[in-house]
Amino acid sequence: MKLSDIAQVIRSKNAGPRRLTLDIMFGSDADYHRVVQSPALGAENIGRLYRLPPEQVTIIPYPAGRAIKIVMARSIMAGDPGDYDVYGAQQHAPLLGIEV
Amino acid sequence: MTAAARIIAELRRTPRPIRLLGASGQLGYGIPAASFKAGIDRCPDLIGCDMGSIDIGPTYLGKGEMATSPEATRRDLRRVLLAARQLDIPLVIGTAGSAGAGPHLDATLAMLRDIARLDGLHFRMAAIRADIPRRLLRAAVRSGKVTSFDGMPALTEQDVTEAAHIVGQMGMGPFRKALESGIDVIVAGRACDTAIFASLPAVLGFPLGLAMHMAKIIECGSLCCVPGGRDPILAELDHDGFVLESMNPDRSATPTSVAAHSLYEQSDPFTMQEPDGTLDLTHARYQAVDNRRTRVSGATWRDAARPTIKLEGACKIGERAVLLCGSADPRFIGQCKALLPNVADLVRTLVCEELPMDYTLRFRVYGIDGVRMVVPENEPQPGEVFIMGECIAPTRERAAEVVRTCKQFLLHFGYPGRLSTAGNVAFPFTPPEVSLGPAYRFSVYHLLHVDDADSLFPVEIETT
Repeated sequence: MKLSDIAQVIRSKNAGPRRLTLDIMFGSDADYHRVVQSPALGAENIGRLYRLPPEQVTIIPYPAGRAIKIVMARSIMAGDPGDYDVYGAQQHAPLLGIEV
Repeated sequence: MTAAARIIAELRRTPRPIRLLGASGQLGYGIPAASFKAGIDRCPDLIGCDMGSIDIGPTYLGKGEMATSPEATRRDLRRVLLAARQLDIPLVIGTAGSAGAGPHLDATLAMLRDIARLDGLHFRMAAIRADIPRRLLRAAVRSGKVTSFDGMPALTEQDVTEAAHIVGQMGMGPFRKALESGIDVIVAGRACDTAIFASLPAVLGFPLGLAMHMAKIIECGSLCCVPGGRDPILAELDHDGFVLESMNPDRSATPTSVAAHSLYEQSDPFTMQEPDGTLDLTHARYQAVDNRRTRVSGATWRDAARPTIKLEGACKIGERAVLLCGSADPRFIGQCKALLPNVADLVRTLVCEELPMDYTLRFRVYGIDGVRMVVPENEPQPGEVFIMGECIAPTRERAAEVVRTCKQFLLHFGYPGRLSTAGNVAFPFTPPEVSLGPAYRFSVYHLLHVDDADSLFPVEIETT
């Protein structure tokens, strides 16, 4: 099953102009627990999708919100010349097709 | 007696829960009238509005201009001001004018004075400046009191000198000082959004962890609800927790939706650094009161040993002009990523005949890689693409020259296998070149370590 078929929210946004935060939220505890244990959501795999070394990717499970947070450095500071997404609101696309 | 003095005296005399209305997470984009009226009908003790953010990028801070339109901003300010004066409660506005530097604060104050004059309102207004003096900051750089974070290079004295505007994010101190000195309205420059709502509860002795957690949620209006939205939200805070309720009956603050809001634009959902300390949500609890309201408790607060002020500054990097066009030719689309650098080379030979290479020219190809930080390999070729050429040059004229030259030579650029010899691109309108004015980048995003943070943010009081 694809992540986009099971998650209720998959979004990205800046956490300050130098970091990107991606939130994956679920509609039930069962869905959350199913995905949170999957290696597909590990730093190794997420780093591969975003072409970053795994040590630059932080995965934070957040059971109270039935959510998983991913934090990574932006490859370019928000608003610098060459930036393509000042708010960082469209960098979630690589997550949609993850098989879980 | 001012609104702040009245509320503080009333709640000290007869302690009770305090009601705070989060009117807008971004004042100047319109406040829904029905849900705002519903909030006012609940007789809040304070109306708070956030007016800005760093998310909008460096240009507004650099130029000293608002992101919102003057007409909509004035309408929103009038709506919240009239309501606050009618109820005789404090109105607290943070990060005035989108970025909270001097010109943003001054423009917001001018609008409020104008509204006061036209509506015949008389009140005491505190203006809190957030601009950090250059001399002080250069001295702080020299003495190692400015540190980097999130991988930002070290700040130099030159960065400080060259920035168009530098602001610091103030915490609760200046707000508390203003509230305690008796005001009806506070308009702050760059400020932590939490300070807008947590300062009055702090003056009244409510637990800081709860007040901060509440502030963090209601500064975004009803975004913490399902469905999330921009309607005003009411929080009722007591000494053990707070209850959240959207003022739009179609939005529900549920335990999961409120808990999930702790993720929003934060890199850590459990601990949040503020200038005055750390908010810890590890033991936060979210319980449904009914199907539209949630009660939140359990957040704790640790005072910082020494205040830390987050600095934001933007410097001008040139003048920006863009070229807007598209293509539907499969042969051109298939080769365009390789062709565009060749077009840029050709442009350079033309515009640099008598002048040095003094500009940057880059292309984003929407449909291929205009949006994404990383693009998967072997994606199918799109049927159409949109191409944006962007030039940043020392002058407006130079940037225009580069994109205009680029337009003509991109249109007629020859390549192997070309069939469409009358033109490679479509223009949605002419002229397809647009001068966007000065371009900025964030040159300051650092931490300033100080002994007395409040002295950086002077409180000036005036009477309208």
